Amino acid sequence: MCVGLSARVLSVKDDTAVIDASGARREVNAALLDELEPGDMIMVHAGIAIAKITDDDAHEAESVLETIDGND
Amino acid sequence: METIERAKKIVEGYDGRPLRIMEVCGTHTHEIFRLGIRRILPDNIRLISGPGCPVCVTPCGFIDEAVEAALEKNAIIATFGDLVRVPGSEKSLAGARSEGAEVRVVYAPSDAVDIARENPDREVVFLSVGFETTVPSSCLAVLRAEAEGVDNFSLLTANKTMPNAYEVLKGSADAFLYPGHVNAITGTAVCERLQSEGVSGVIAGFTAAELLTALAVIVEKSRAGKPFFENCYPRVVRPEGSPKAIAIIDRLMEPCDAEWRGLGVIPGSGLALRDAYARFDARKKLALSPQTGTGNPACRCGDILRGDCTPPECPLYGRICTPLSPVGACMVSGEGACSAYYQYTDRG
Amino acid sequence: MEQYIQLAHGAGGSQTNELIETVFKKHLASPAMTADDAAVLTIGAEKLAFTTDGFIVSPYKFPGGNIGKLSVCGTVNDLACMGAKPLYMTCAVVIEEGFPVAELEPIVEAMGRTAREAGVQFAAGDTKVAGKGQVDKIFITTTGIGQLTPGADLSGANAKPGDAVIVTGDVGRHGCTVLLERNEFGIEADVKSDCAPLWHTVEAVLNRTKNVHVIRDATRGGAGTVLYEIASQSGVGFDIERARIPVDPAVRGVCGMLGLEPLYLACEGTLVMIAPAEEADGIVETLRSMPYSANAAVIGRVTAENPGKVVVSTEIGAKTMLPRPGGELLPRIC
Repeated sequence: MCVGLSARVLSVKDDTAVIDASGARREVNAALLDELEPGDMIMVHAGIAIAKITDDDAHEAESVLETIDGND
Repeated sequence: METIERAKKIVEGYDGRPLRIMEVCGTHTHEIFRLGIRRILPDNIRLISGPGCPVCVTPCGFIDEAVEAALEKNAIIATFGDLVRVPGSEKSLAGARSEGAEVRVVYAPSDAVDIARENPDREVVFLSVGFETTVPSSCLAVLRAEAEGVDNFSLLTANKTMPNAYEVLKGSADAFLYPGHVNAITGTAVCERLQSEGVSGVIAGFTAAELLTALAVIVEKSRAGKPFFENCYPRVVRPEGSPKAIAIIDRLMEPCDAEWRGLGVIPGSGLALRDAYARFDARKKLALSPQTGTGNPACRCGDILRGDCTPPECPLYGRICTPLSPVGACMVSGEGACSAYYQYTDRG
Repeated sequence: MEQYIQLAHGAGGSQTNELIETVFKKHLASPAMTADDAAVLTIGAEKLAFTTDGFIVSPYKFPGGNIGKLSVCGTVNDLACMGAKPLYMTCAVVIEEGFPVAELEPIVEAMGRTAREAGVQFAAGDTKVAGKGQVDKIFITTTGIGQLTPGADLSGANAKPGDAVIVTGDVGRHGCTVLLERNEFGIEADVKSDCAPLWHTVEAVLNRTKNVHVIRDATRGGAGTVLYEIASQSGVGFDIERARIPVDPAVRGVCGMLGLEPLYLACEGTLVMIAPAEEADGIVETLRSMPYSANAAVIGRVTAENPGKVVVSTEIGAKTMLPRPGGELLPRIC
């Protein structure tokens, strides 16, 4: 239901951050996140930053897979 | 890549009892089709596309209200692109636009506040659809309009929340792929509660690795036969969600009963602006007529959303209901179950 | 058919076809009309390609070009797709009252420069001025005539199972550029339109081999729409490998932000070519040596299976359908 875009923070001023997603830049509202800094990765939806994230989905998937291997 | 292969192998090799897995997020539906995940599933796993596309569950009468605001009240409509083609009882917003309505597609609700600033003589109505993920963005736009004294901006709300919808859906699937970006806001408590009620599911992300991993976890955990819950999207979803977002929603909006296209009214499953923000409520501000519009009675969107039938089983599917002239909302949005089915398969 | 014309009727997809079939062809159909980019006419002993195109791009200037350059490239490329060397063009320019002359001249200058580059001459022209608000600043229509290359037989109906599918460059750049220039979504990216006259590109390929089956200009509707058109004209299927489709990273970024498919964004300097598999490497080598096609690549093959359909092999090694062209391009958020 919600297209998310993972993007890197380029700059932050008050509650506004400029983000970059593979060369596409836009201002987004960053009011929901604390202590955002240039270089942070965030998840953006409908023009707002909804979460600070890491951009390594492969590593995440690997760790999740470890948990089920452990159950076997 | 290695992770993808491992997860894929687990899913492909599933030989347990038949599993019905419901994804309740339209973007999951879209990505599952885009990646071709359905084609690698064994016969004993069935994926059901649930009601997670806000466009799909937005009732006909809501489009009628927007058309009325645009054509009768001369408002500028600002909307996400997804809604432009959704059929109302007489016409869509694209149809209204060809009759002179001003319809602007925006990326973010706050862009509609900018449009309002540039058009001080016109009311600018943002069509606030979407689930918990999208609501904070609408709320922040209202707060910005309030702070900047932009008083010709308002929301027409059709926002929905998931918890009560799960109550309606929980018998329809053996496990849910929970919508990662909704849980990024609401946290994991709702999933844990569902687990305690015997409902299984995992929170899933949206990349190939994340989706396949989430399915692999469902497949493995299902073998044990006990209700389970796992957060498979921890890089984005924290257990507590986003307390700030929840606080902002609560400050501006209150729960209301909401009509879901196809599912009917689900008590307490909608959000409406609180009285304190009534001056940003387009319904009140423009005195819009009560919603009466209903869709085509033969449309089986509701059964499809509950997983009770597949798109080709609907009598309208592919005959009079196609992505270019949609009847039911499942056909309208690219991520609607029928549209995705039509676009990405041999049309049944 | 709807009661009123909607934007989707101009988007190049099935609603455009519906409009053409039910209104235009009803009255104007003739044996000379084809489903290709230009008609092929036999006049005496001579075979000529003949085409026309209207340009209404807003804004009228954008990184990489303006409506003038575009109006020449569009017609030159339509002729080139039939293997025809562009010879003569005409233009009809409709200008809105109040349009600055200082803005007009660079547009016409670009038309002249692009025509000289493509080796085509303007033989006639017309100007009209419309009252304020009657047109949006400036609209240009160009018509062109070209001479067919002997030995080349190009048509959207000629694709054969086993053929290779080549794109002459990265896809979606023009559509993305114009989308960003309209500044409706507050997005910035360093993207430049691929707008370019491609006769010399096609000429170089045909000098190497005449054994090319289809050349199509991936303009309105993008490469995806062109593939569906060829699939239906030739009665074949396509198997396209997602990972091999060249896309500029910034175009990918913009598409990610707006939920758009790069294959459905317009190109104005990128062609789809279909040729026997054994010719593909040579064609790509020739293309990569030419100025506007350095990113040329084989992206897939023609299949006998799935006629009329475009199948995409995805990053997880599964196959899925490319969604059919769906009218007006609308960003997706939910």
